[in-house]
Amino acid sequence: MAKREIEEINAGSMADIAFLLLIFFLVTTTMDKDQAYIRRIPKKVEVSKPVDVEKRNILAIKANNQNQLMVRDMIFEDPNKISDFVLEFYKMNEKKNDPTNNFPMYSRITMSAIDQNIAVIEGEIEQMEEAGMKADIVNFKYNQLDEWEKKKRALKLYGDNELPEIHVQANIRVEVQQATAYSIFAKMQTEIEEAIFELRNGECERLFGMPYSVLKRRYDQDKKAEDQAMMDLLEILYPARIIEVTPKK
Amino acid sequence: MPGVNTSSLPDIVFMLLFFFMVATTSKENDPTVKVESPVGTKTTELTPYKQRSEVDFLYLGKPRNPMRAADFKMGYALSLDNVVQPTVDGLYTTNVVGQWKRDKFDQKPPRMTAPIESVITCFKADRNAPSGLIFDIRKELQDIKGVGSMTIAYAVRDNGNI
Repeated sequence: MAKREIEEINAGSMADIAFLLLIFFLVTTTMDKDQAYIRRIPKKVEVSKPVDVEKRNILAIKANNQNQLMVRDMIFEDPNKISDFVLEFYKMNEKKNDPTNNFPMYSRITMSAIDQNIAVIEGEIEQMEEAGMKADIVNFKYNQLDEWEKKKRALKLYGDNELPEIHVQANIRVEVQQATAYSIFAKMQTEIEEAIFELRNGECERLFGMPYSVLKRRYDQDKKAEDQAMMDLLEILYPARIIEVTPKK
Repeated sequence: MPGVNTSSLPDIVFMLLFFFMVATTSKENDPTVKVESPVGTKTTELTPYKQRSEVDFLYLGKPRNPMRAADFKMGYALSLDNVVQPTVDGLYTTNVVGQWKRDKFDQKPPRMTAPIESVITCFKADRNAPSGLIFDIRKELQDIKGVGSMTIAYAVRDNGNI
């Protein structure tokens, strides 16, 4: 039998096929990423009497059913001003406490005070473990210890004698009503997030000489302990305690 | 004049094709409700969570079928995995959102070992959706039995440079 030459496959239409596929993926691709504000929602706890919070420690940002805005009993129009109120709330007493104004106080804690607290809690834990206390109570103490260790690292990084800290009860409240548009609610979240970013960015530039966004991205990628400590410091200086108040029916 | 040699054209096209194939994230579902997100900045990107399948999306908007709008509280409906839920008013006798979260969690592949608390619930709400509905759903998430504190996310469109 004569050897038959194998015919080559015509690949001329290959490009057409690839083009079709290409166009399909071009059309179906959505480049936009999912962007969101992440929040934790607390579990319901039964308390007999709610904790009293001083008025100066609350920054209430409210919007009603007609989408009108109010911050600390002041009505205003421009939603872009919310971030200025948030900045004011954090900055007013930051350098020096002034009891006459209506803004949260700052406490300044020294290294020796931190060491003292750590020693006290360590002693308590030892006692509790000897007495065979319940595990969750001991764990609670361990968490407290972690907080103080974090503060210790933060103060070392801060490089000052004292670590300024806003009042523990200082919080930002987002209060909306049933029919408030989601865009207004989201705008409030945006403004708070922008203000806190600005505060942390300022400190990040001053202390570490780099923008906060760079630090955050580097931490997200490498999860290095030193970046973690820097992030912790900025969070201790400007904590984001946001409470979303459930609207009344 | 000799024609241009086009034999490397398929290679170029294939390169482009592969780029788009890799870059594509196909939409998981096309919600049965219309959602136009509001804009915002300084957001967190959900992509890493999505890659670990640690985020559930719920959609809140006007139903695409306008005839159905009257069935829902203030005309806005909740869509869970493309199923429009009956009116959220007064909330359900059973915790629909909680049930949905649990079912979704049970169906997760075994390689996903993170606990149910670490699965973010992301609200994709229309810009005009009433905030009251968001808080209704939020309350349902709070009330899921035997589960610790949950994490939620409010989706917005971020036009800032990423």
